[in-house]
Amino acid sequence: MSEHPTSPPVGRVIGTDPATPLEFWVAVGDDCFLQLDDVVVVERSLPGRAEPIRIYGMVSDLRVRHEGARFDSDVFLIEDGVLPAQVTEAAKVLATRFEPEVFVPPVPGEIVRKAVGEARDQALFFDGMERRIPAGLSRDGEVVHANLEFMDGTRGAHVNISGVSGVATKTSYAVFLLHSLFTSGELGAGAHNTKALIFNVKGEDLLFLDRPNRHLDGEQMARYATLGLPATPFASVELWAPPRRGDPSAAPRTGSRADGVTSFFWTLAEFCRDELLPFLFADAGDERQQYTIVVHNVTARLRREAKPLGDGGVRIGGITCRTFEQLIDVINDRLEDEGDRGEWAGRSIGTGTINAFVRRLYASRRDAEHLVRGDVPNPGKHRIGMQGQVTVVDIAKLSRRAQRFVVGVVLRKTFQEKEETGSREPLLFVVLDELNKYAPREGHSPIKEILLDMAERGRSLGVILIGAQQTASEVERRVIANSSLRVAGRLDSAEAGRPEYAFLPTAHRQRATILKPGTMILSQPELPVPLVLEFPFPAWATRPDEVGDEPGDAEDTRDPFEGLEE
Amino acid sequence: MGEDAGGGAGNAGEAMNRVESLAIEGWSPEFGSPVETERDDVPAAQVDAGAELPPEEWRPLAAAADAPAPARVYFVDGVRRIEARVWMSHGGEPSLGICASYGAGVVRCGRRAEIVSASVRRGFFGKAGVPALVTRAGTFAACPVAADDIQQLVNGLQERMGQLEIEVAETALPSASRPSRGDALMVVDGPLRGSQRIAGATGYVKSHRVQYLSGGPRATVARLGPGQRTPVFLIQTTWTRYSWYLRLTEAEGHPWAGIVRCEAWHDTGLDQVKRIANATAAVLPRFASEPHKDDRAPQNLYPIAGLERELRRRLGDTGVVYRALRRAADDYRPPT
Repeated sequence: MSEHPTSPPVGRVIGTDPATPLEFWVAVGDDCFLQLDDVVVVERSLPGRAEPIRIYGMVSDLRVRHEGARFDSDVFLIEDGVLPAQVTEAAKVLATRFEPEVFVPPVPGEIVRKAVGEARDQALFFDGMERRIPAGLSRDGEVVHANLEFMDGTRGAHVNISGVSGVATKTSYAVFLLHSLFTSGELGAGAHNTKALIFNVKGEDLLFLDRPNRHLDGEQMARYATLGLPATPFASVELWAPPRRGDPSAAPRTGSRADGVTSFFWTLAEFCRDELLPFLFADAGDERQQYTIVVHNVTARLRREAKPLGDGGVRIGGITCRTFEQLIDVINDRLEDEGDRGEWAGRSIGTGTINAFVRRLYASRRDAEHLVRGDVPNPGKHRIGMQGQVTVVDIAKLSRRAQRFVVGVVLRKTFQEKEETGSREPLLFVVLDELNKYAPREGHSPIKEILLDMAERGRSLGVILIGAQQTASEVERRVIANSSLRVAGRLDSAEAGRPEYAFLPTAHRQRATILKPGTMILSQPELPVPLVLEFPFPAWATRPDEVGDEPGDAEDTRDPFEGLEE
Repeated sequence: MGEDAGGGAGNAGEAMNRVESLAIEGWSPEFGSPVETERDDVPAAQVDAGAELPPEEWRPLAAAADAPAPARVYFVDGVRRIEARVWMSHGGEPSLGICASYGAGVVRCGRRAEIVSASVRRGFFGKAGVPALVTRAGTFAACPVAADDIQQLVNGLQERMGQLEIEVAETALPSASRPSRGDALMVVDGPLRGSQRIAGATGYVKSHRVQYLSGGPRATVARLGPGQRTPVFLIQTTWTRYSWYLRLTEAEGHPWAGIVRCEAWHDTGLDQVKRIANATAAVLPRFASEPHKDDRAPQNLYPIAGLERELRRRLGDTGVVYRALRRAADDYRPPT
């Protein structure tokens, strides 16, 4: 509190628009300028107080106009030198902080200065953040911090990112946050054991996290330096991809990334023992159907009757199953058998309902047969083990049903394991895009239940969800409501008007519709105003042609965010 | 009464002049129009229509297309506003005063239109002994006038405003440089005033209350096209000046629509006046206003309207000034 703002005045509070404690307008002086997101400070003396109070704020809007003009067409007269007029510029400031907390508006005429250094930290509450990680850079190149206590579960948890596909760079930002978490040193000794689970839902962006980006130029490296982060790829990355269809050895189905990728699948024994069948029917639409009861009954029967063979296969009532097809044939036989039907489907279940289930079960064969099998030796190698710091599970090339199956099964397993350890540390971060698919606002599904559980209890269990979606309005409210940090990239203008984005002031909502890739709006619980920030170009490769041995190899200097996918 | 009452009676005179208390009353239009800029007190004007052309040869004149037009036009204007009537008590005798704000400014129209000089003052007009009145809205300087009837008070205000116009014109373009500045034209809103002379200026009269011309010359005015002027004629009242009519825009409605009259000082010299007349015909139509933007279009020129708005803005809010005056009057204590 001792230091005083020493930066030169940039303007004065105006009196033609009312000043309120929450927002006020500042006329910008000659030879000065303010831009959006600039942080300013103004003082006000109060009777009975020796020290003036300081009101901090952030520029959220600017306007320039002709004073002396009454009609729009006056501009031509003014430019022709016929009508005298003056150009005036004013900035709308949203108050962020009062020091000390006396909530009074600033007085018209008071001098407004830019807040720099400590004053800026105070204005944005960075001074009170005991543990903070760099979340990006402001427009004027200053570091924007995020309060770690609202990410790691101390006071809050979870991050939710919204934005249009393709330009909002949602996943890129999520990965940048992970990089910042792991390398800023703020996690302390726990950083080493902290893990992240990332689902790669589109393209191959996340399959090169461990490779340096040859397009990273000196300017971008300088931005990492400003942030205090190393411009390096992730050190410990584990890549998982689904097996190739029809390949008996279950080689991973990968695109351009061939090395270091392991295929994943579940054995029939695990499928039966761990009750994975419902995840094949995890569409929110499935849950409304009659046959759900059949799904649950069959799941229970499989758990009870399937005897593991030790190599991944199972034996059910004397029949050995080594492939998914064999398993569903057994299930079908049981359901068709008059004697077994009552036990497998449930009492007084109509044949129509049973047939509906069987139809869907066969329909899922193509989606699941390579993911659930008992025909590959040494299946333990293909169990997603999360040994590395970052585990990337590639589901981009799977069908929607298979994607839901994988996400549901992996999430449940990791969540259960974390629950069993009973300890919050080390933290587990889960990055999942397309939340609207997995936790839709309408309907129920097993995955939605897990995500809700994670959103509501994950904070105490040390499971932190970094969720993303195009449209927050289509995602279960409680999942978003539990997120302490909200981030918006480029938003569709119709979407930006929805109540899910009420955390953005009007000006920020409008800006969200024109954000460039690499620019995000971050809202934190402590700050009354969201911060617009830019994050540096990834230091890790996001596509095959970016992979380089050393950063800065590339000679072309194209727009770093060009073509960047989610 | 007062100061010339004799040496021995000096103290008594001062005591008589001393204002003991003030009472503020609002100003209403029925006390007289405070905005009465056109002074048509020229009933016995002598007019010589033959200054430039004999009356029978009168015809619309236009500046030659290649005649150099002034690069800069200065418009000078003043505004005034009576804030309140003040009843002063001198030893039990009431007398009337007015508190008024007035301002004057200059717009320079070159490549851009800029207010290059503007000033606002406040005055307390009353009989001798009128005090200065310090208020939160500024100090109303003591402005003594001869008598306390409304017309005298308003005349006193008008005179101060005219004086201020001279000052701002001087600031904007020193009079010494005006005659030599062929590239600059200085236009004063309203007729020229013989007693308050803005050297080198051209008067600009929007309304036509007095018929200066008759017969052929008068008919010529109606025949003017846009940007054309009549020949220069001479008007003589208590003082002498040159004058001419010009049409700003296409006549709409009646034949004298869009006609203004300009004036120039007699001692400017006829050749120079003709040059000025041509210059006004060449440049003033450009500043003519459109009816949807100005009630007094086209005669009320854009720069003058803009200047007036700005000056009125600078006079401040009338409610705030009135409140400040009431308060200052309540707090008024006679000087001891």
